[in-house]
Amino acid sequence: MNKISTPKELPEYSESIVNTVREPLIIMDQHLRVITASRSFYDFFRAEPKDTIGKLIYNLGNNQWDIPKLRELLETILPQKTSFDDYKVEHDFTTIGWRTMLLNARQVERSQSNDRIILLSIEDITERNAIQEGLVKANKELEILTKDLVKAAQVKSEFLANMSHELRTPLNSINGFSEVLYDETFGTLNEKQKQYVKNVLVSGNHLLLLINEILDMAKVEAGKMTLTVTELPIKEILYEISGLIKDAANKKNLKMVIDISTYLKNIQADSLKIKQILYNLLSNAIKFTPDGGEIGIKATQTDTETHIVIWDTGIGIALENIEKIFEGFFRIETPYSRVTEGTGLGLPIAKKLVELHRGKLKVESEGNEKGTSVHIILPIKHITTVIRDENKNSHS
Amino acid sequence: MKTKIVIVDDNANNLLLEKDLLIVAGFEVHTAVNANDAIQLIKEVKPQVIVLDVQLPDISGAELARILRSSIDTVSTPIVFVTASVLQSDIDHLLSIPDSAYISKPINTRTFSKQVSQCIK
Ligand SMILES: Nc1ncnc2c1ncn2[C@@H]1O[C@H](COP(=O)(O)OP(=O)(O)OP(=O)(O)O)[C@@H](O)[C@H]1O
Ligand SMILES: [Mg+2]
Repeated sequence: MNKISTPKELPEYSESIVNTVREPLIIMDQHLRVITASRSFYDFFRAEPKDTIGKLIYNLGNNQWDIPKLRELLETILPQKTSFDDYKVEHDFTTIGWRTMLLNARQVERSQSNDRIILLSIEDITERNAIQEGLVKANKELEILTKDLVKAAQVKSEFLANMSHELRTPLNSINGFSEVLYDETFGTLNEKQKQYVKNVLVSGNHLLLLINEILDMAKVEAGKMTLTVTELPIKEILYEISGLIKDAANKKNLKMVIDISTYLKNIQADSLKIKQILYNLLSNAIKFTPDGGEIGIKATQTDTETHIVIWDTGIGIALENIEKIFEGFFRIETPYSRVTEGTGLGLPIAKKLVELHRGKLKVESEGNEKGTSVHIILPIKHITTVIRDENKNSHS
Repeated sequence: MKTKIVIVDDNANNLLLEKDLLIVAGFEVHTAVNANDAIQLIKEVKPQVIVLDVQLPDISGAELARILRSSIDTVSTPIVFVTASVLQSDIDHLLSIPDSAYISKPINTRTFSKQVSQCIK
């Protein structure tokens, strides 16, 4: 028998079940004619029951539903499998526009008669899809951005390294020729000539110092700074560097307090870099302490670490600047610092060099006018890198 | 007889500076401004030491050094690189050439000739 089903053939409660589901739901007979549809179906597809019930599904909404993929699902897949989930269909509806849907279909045998009904629920995933696609796209863009940033940092470091290299070549002749003139290798100069050549030489050397600092920073940032580790008599080095800065301290009437433990073991570290660190920090202590103040070095050791403190009673550092002084090119604006020279790279370089040794550098200050102390912790045994023979690169 | 030196540098000022310093120190100095001329000059002069700028217009100083090491006349002539590079990796690369040393730029005019003569065997 081939009679057309009507809603009346469904028990009343099934009608209300159909209407409670939130997703659009259609029930069809085995000839794909609509028996009933949920309220959500009418709402979502802006359809009316009178244009829907009894119609062939493909003819709904002026044949809007004649979708090849839907035909495939209903006519080919379902007769074989009786149920099918998450069947993705994309379609451009004239009423509601472009939609991406997931279809779930069930084929149910009816007990009284031999015919079947088909349940078709429709999940609209257009927005979810858009969000997902957006996320994937955003992710890709983020990846590209990260790569660009890494590359930009690299380009910057390479640029700085190349630039410093290029600058050293002309400086070679500026400093070289003025040195030869100043030394009067090819004949004597009068007093004024000698003074002027000296001025050129002093400026040239200052420029070289700046270039070297910029280069050091670029090298550390590009990961190209390598350590030449040897066994260092740290005690002697501390005395040597304090000797070097004694004149500068005396000039400013600064009292130097040296408190270096007599029992300091040798440490494994890069001699030049350790001297550079200590020199930088002691120069800062002198530079930022007004006449008549005090500066000091204290050094102690545990079994595994050397602890060095370089302190002063100078202008101190305000709490809000304690982080910034490590950013590079940062110089605190105070009436006092304006008269001091510098680029603001000494401290960041010192910190990076300490960290290359797997040590720690920390700056402490109670604030303006309260003095500063810089703490360095260096491991006694150098970790990982092979110890090099320092005599290998002996020239210059 | 004076000790013979060949200096190779494409920068005229640096070449002049190094030349003057070495002449004052009593060397017989010959100069070239590129690797090609340098090879010819070194063949003729047979210097006791060669001073090489690392960046030359035709080939790098390191490549020139390897060419010199492959010739019987210059297989062990000391080579002093003068380099503005401060990257340890660059310097290690230069020093991997046998009988080589380096002086970094800017040079110290007061010690330059001494540094060079220390390399002569
Ligand atoms: N001991 C200190 N007391 C007070 N302020 C300090 C001290 N050390 C560093 N600072 C502050 O941190 C800033 C950065 O220090 P850093 O050593 O990097 O730069 P600089 O000494 O000014 O220049 P450079 O060391 O490059 O010649 C200084 O300009 C100063 O404002
Ligand atoms: Mg400083």
